[in-house]
Amino acid sequence: MIKRLSLLLLLVGLFLINPHCANVEQNQNIIKSVTVKEVPFKDVSSGIWKKVPVTQVNVIPQNMTLPSLQTPTIQYINVRSVHNDNWIAFLLEWEDKTRDAVVDVNKFTDQVAIQIPLDPKNLPAFMMGNKGGRVHIIHWKAIWQDDIEKGYRDVQTLHPNYWVDLYFFSEPMIYAEGEFPLQPTTVDYFITPEALNYIPGAYARNPISIFHRTQPVEEAMAEGFGTFTTQPKQNATGWGRWEKGVWKVIIARPIVTDDPNDAPISGKTYIAFAVWNGSDKNVGARKHYAPWVELVVEK
Amino acid sequence: MSVTSWLTSKVKNWQIRREMGYPYEESRPEKQIAYVFDINKCIACQTCTVACKTTWTSGKGQEIMFWNNVETKPYGGYPIKWDLNILKSLDGQSWDKEGKYNGKTVFEAAPQGEKVLGWLPEEEDYSYPNIGEDECAETVEKGAFFSGIHKAWMFYLARICNHCTYPACLAACPRKAIYKRKEDGIVLIDQSRCRGYRECVRACPYKKTFFNLVTRISEKCIGCYPLIEKGEQPRCVQTCIGKIRLQGFLSKPDSPRKDNPIDFLVYVKKVALPLYPQFGLEPNVYYVPPIHVPKEFLYQMFGPGVDNAIETYKGAKDDKELLGAFLLFGSTDKIIHSFKVERDYTLGFNDKREMIAKVPLTEPIYVRPYFDKKVGTYRHNIP
Ligand code: SF4
Ligand code: SF4
Repeated sequence: MIKRLSLLLLLVGLFLINPHCANVEQNQNIIKSVTVKEVPFKDVSSGIWKKVPVTQVNVIPQNMTLPSLQTPTIQYINVRSVHNDNWIAFLLEWEDKTRDAVVDVNKFTDQVAIQIPLDPKNLPAFMMGNKGGRVHIIHWKAIWQDDIEKGYRDVQTLHPNYWVDLYFFSEPMIYAEGEFPLQPTTVDYFITPEALNYIPGAYARNPISIFHRTQPVEEAMAEGFGTFTTQPKQNATGWGRWEKGVWKVIIARPIVTDDPNDAPISGKTYIAFAVWNGSDKNVGARKHYAPWVELVVEK
Repeated sequence: MSVTSWLTSKVKNWQIRREMGYPYEESRPEKQIAYVFDINKCIACQTCTVACKTTWTSGKGQEIMFWNNVETKPYGGYPIKWDLNILKSLDGQSWDKEGKYNGKTVFEAAPQGEKVLGWLPEEEDYSYPNIGEDECAETVEKGAFFSGIHKAWMFYLARICNHCTYPACLAACPRKAIYKRKEDGIVLIDQSRCRGYRECVRACPYKKTFFNLVTRISEKCIGCYPLIEKGEQPRCVQTCIGKIRLQGFLSKPDSPRKDNPIDFLVYVKKVALPLYPQFGLEPNVYYVPPIHVPKEFLYQMFGPGVDNAIETYKGAKDDKELLGAFLLFGSTDKIIHSFKVERDYTLGFNDKREMIAKVPLTEPIYVRPYFDKKVGTYRHNIP
């Protein structure tokens, strides 16, 4: 009796955890990329996605290197994939009660990333690859999405009343004669090399400190922990929407590229995932991950 | 991965008189930047803070950043409770009679899943850099102002990055974006490599790495390395009104040089002590402890060397060499590599043995007449 009851509870539990349960592919180890005419780049609710099988990919807290993630707050990502002759796209969906798209000393942004091996025949380590076993990563961040849609998330986005009398070399002149001094509230006031001198990350051209981004995703390569390196050539795209406690993020890339750092996609390869919950202070290695899943690209 | 397996090396930490676990091998730089701050002389004028701020951190995104700050103890702290928080979580910090530390360092005390025992401040914690300013530990009893010495105490603690021998910021960075320079021991964050994970902000027990809101990566005190490379002392040292600071290079603990003023004060006279040596980072800003503060407070802050340091300091007036070393503070912008006391002067030399400072051990006294005939006027209170 007790056994039967707990089985029932378990089943009920499964349905509660996964609202899309009915559509989910039973085999978690294969993601099929379906051929379509048009690949949706920004429309996360496009009808195209509805016709595509969903694979529920379970994620677990990162436990292989320090610092690690002690308690998970995300259980799975629902993955769909479509492609045409030129592009392949993935729709990634996961539950997250809060939309975290700002950063501060102790505030972190929501993020998701996919990873594909450069050589699927000699599969590298699923976590960031390994020496000689390179992986190609495409990484989306909620704060970058807002940077693009709403303008650079700045000091005043978080603290509207911050006041500073003078920032050196900001332009245009903010102390026009007889006028109340204006606060240079956006990064656009800081354009000269002299002004950028006081914004060291931007001066050093750190890929994290780019003020005028065109894509909310970053393409990178890695050969092991701590080796994440931004690719010189960025040709992936992304777009994310958060609605009613669910993130839906599209990550797309050209199916064939001339970039030697891009992983080949033809026939069968593998894909791995990572996802971060900003409100739980997930960042860097404090993340959820899913090891290699087979990716089959329909001809 | 267990915490013990992460601390793969055993390194020597002379400040706690024992070996300790650290993720990298012992690799002391050719020269180690070091400072001596004489707390007894600091007046909290914040000239150092402003000199640093205008030089390095007046950009957008650095609004709450003070690489140099001066706080009033016991209540002040920037960020708020930076010391209390870590002291509380680092339980049982006891020392034995020989001056060996028996407790755990922040590396050894790292909880499950972490590299270092640390905590991440809130943004608001940085918003009151001068909280507790000039507040005494207790109220002064009625009438005590007039009856001589009273018990109420406070002191000013000037703080910068310690350019630690075993930096926690460096150990915690998963990207190896933080490095310690071989040539001078200055600890830097590579601004093109950092990805803003803030592991260093969490790990540094002194809270001397900072998150930049605009660049979204971390920054820290750079020891004014462009000045150091020119043979000059950092801005906070050059500008210090109270002349409480001396910057130089500390020799390796097994080869102190008596004629190096920093070695002399730290190793030979042991009059300047590291801040919270029990954390295990071997910090390289050394403080002459304030002489009027309850000993218990000072033991916790500077370790077991406090009694000796205060006694030695009080005897400085009768110790020509010690007096000579102290009088070099604020005497030149250049870095003093060696010194000697000759007759009634203390002399400071650069690395080429050229004299760069000459200070009398006693200021000469000039007596001038009350009525100055030359200008036909009376003098009042002019030294
Ligand atoms: S400039 Fe010198 S005296 Fe003034 S607050 Fe700084 S350390 Fe103290
Ligand atoms: S004081 Fe903090 S920031 Fe400076 S070297 Fe030590 S651990 Fe790093």
